[in-house]
Amino acid sequence: MLKFVKAAFAVTALLSVGQVHADNIQAFDSQSFAQIKEEFAGKPFVLSLWSIDCAPCRVELKLLGEIKQQQPDFPLVVISTDLLDDREEALDILDSYNLAEFESWMFADAFVERLRFSIDPLWHGELPRSYFFAHDHSFESHSGVLSEQQLGKYFPQLLE
Amino acid sequence: MLRIHGLAALTMRTFLMTSKSIASLLLSLIVASMQLAHAENCDELQNQFGEDVISVHCGGAPSAAVDADGRLWVTFVQDKHVYVAYSDDQGSTYSQAVRVNDEPEDAEFNGENRPKIVLSSRGDILLSWTTKTSSNFTGLIRFSRSEDGGKHFTKPQTINDDGLHTGHRFDSLYLTQSGNLYLTWIDKRDMEATLARDESYPGAAIYYAVSKDYGKTFSDNYRVSHNSCECCRIAVAPQGSDNVAILWRQIYDSQIRDHAIAVLSPEGQVSGMDRATVDDWYIDACPHHGPSMVLAQNDDQYHMSWFSAGNIHKGIYYARYDLGSATSSHLLEVDATPGAGHPSLAMHGSELKMVWKGFNGVQTQLKIMRSHDDGETWSAAEDLYLSDQASDHPLLINTDQGVYLSWWTAQYGYIFKEIANVEVR
Repeated sequence: MLKFVKAAFAVTALLSVGQVHADNIQAFDSQSFAQIKEEFAGKPFVLSLWSIDCAPCRVELKLLGEIKQQQPDFPLVVISTDLLDDREEALDILDSYNLAEFESWMFADAFVERLRFSIDPLWHGELPRSYFFAHDHSFESHSGVLSEQQLGKYFPQLLE
Repeated sequence: MLRIHGLAALTMRTFLMTSKSIASLLLSLIVASMQLAHAENCDELQNQFGEDVISVHCGGAPSAAVDADGRLWVTFVQDKHVYVAYSDDQGSTYSQAVRVNDEPEDAEFNGENRPKIVLSSRGDILLSWTTKTSSNFTGLIRFSRSEDGGKHFTKPQTINDDGLHTGHRFDSLYLTQSGNLYLTWIDKRDMEATLARDESYPGAAIYYAVSKDYGKTFSDNYRVSHNSCECCRIAVAPQGSDNVAILWRQIYDSQIRDHAIAVLSPEGQVSGMDRATVDDWYIDACPHHGPSMVLAQNDDQYHMSWFSAGNIHKGIYYARYDLGSATSSHLLEVDATPGAGHPSLAMHGSELKMVWKGFNGVQTQLKIMRSHDDGETWSAAEDLYLSDQASDHPLLINTDQGVYLSWWTAQYGYIFKEIANVEVR
């Protein structure tokens, strides 16, 4: 199913007139978080959740975009809690922060409570919300805009 | 009801058409109205009438009100238009929806930001909504009204008077007993002006305007408060016959997002402003989680319900606020279960009701609890509905007949039911 959805996006992107930026947005369903953890098996990573309607999220996206420009291998997964219907708008925003070419997801289902629960049952939906996953995928969560210092606590190379 | 209005207009317009095409159109309308009556949710409607069917079951974030004759009016957003429809059988069937804005606009429709509908005792239908104007949190406060029983609506007008391309969003609409129409919203004009001076401005501001002629004209815009949260609905309740009290999420000490209350007059005077909740929610983020407030039995007291994830309180809370002493009492942790949120209150006679959403890991639970002593004690929480699909925030609507649940769900369509008659499902 996911492959089909991704293929559909690729076709849409090809057909869209004026579509110039990379399109790496994937559909986030209730199985996707397990897939993301599998992708980072044994490795630490940062998960950042945002939405189009969240002003503080832009501050965090700007910081994350700058980090990815300096360190393209920085282990980051960005998830928009907007529905895929708003994909073009999300893509424009990601592109403006130089994040469009990196791994990114959008909620595939309006039943947002279930998708939020699949990531963290204790998360109330406030944004931005971020998670630091250690090698063993034990994690710490944070609500509100991330600072470079907070990121540096988990990834000291960022502060070097 | 669809047949009466739809066919009268249709007959006039199509008088010169061939009898065959008239008959065909009449038949399709009659069939459509009969089938609409039986549809339960949007999927069923779309299967029958195609993807473009306009219906409260398919539209986004409906709001409802009931007029003195018991007719239910709903407004909703679909495909960049605000629509209004009515029901004479308490939500079983609906009239054909009337389009409010002829020109498409990006009317917001989500749990915190929905079109609002208010009915006057003389029959006006008054609407407000927020139209998004960019991806950068800008918007306009829009207003339209009907004086002919919902057949036609005035061309939408913009109520924020600053002419700035900035944030004007999260509108609320309230009509007092004396006929003062209050329109409140979250506004970023002061933030823009402050940032232009290279100074910081946490959050946004609360503004309002008042109409004393049922929306024909509005006052200037008045500021209530600087430094509100940017992304939560504002709750409005009456204060005397002319004024309103509003409850909103305010930023304290640059970082704490708790709630403030104030009384607004039609002339722009703001009084009684105070902190109404102390949860100490230190967060530099958008909670997207506004409060609910209704008048208590004492005219200077309010029932409040809200969500916080603060250091002091985490979850849904209830308290009664007293304007005279500027204090909250009867604080109650309603539901601290993860996933609980979006409470709505209504008071009818001496019964106070509260609904909210919970999530048990698989299903959304629509929960209810009741108080018969002005919030002193409450019944245990019960599940009214369970749903394993998407749903809107629930709203309670107080009418002359009783309290109704107004709730859009993907599974059951749009639900408008008197709480007393809801069968648990």
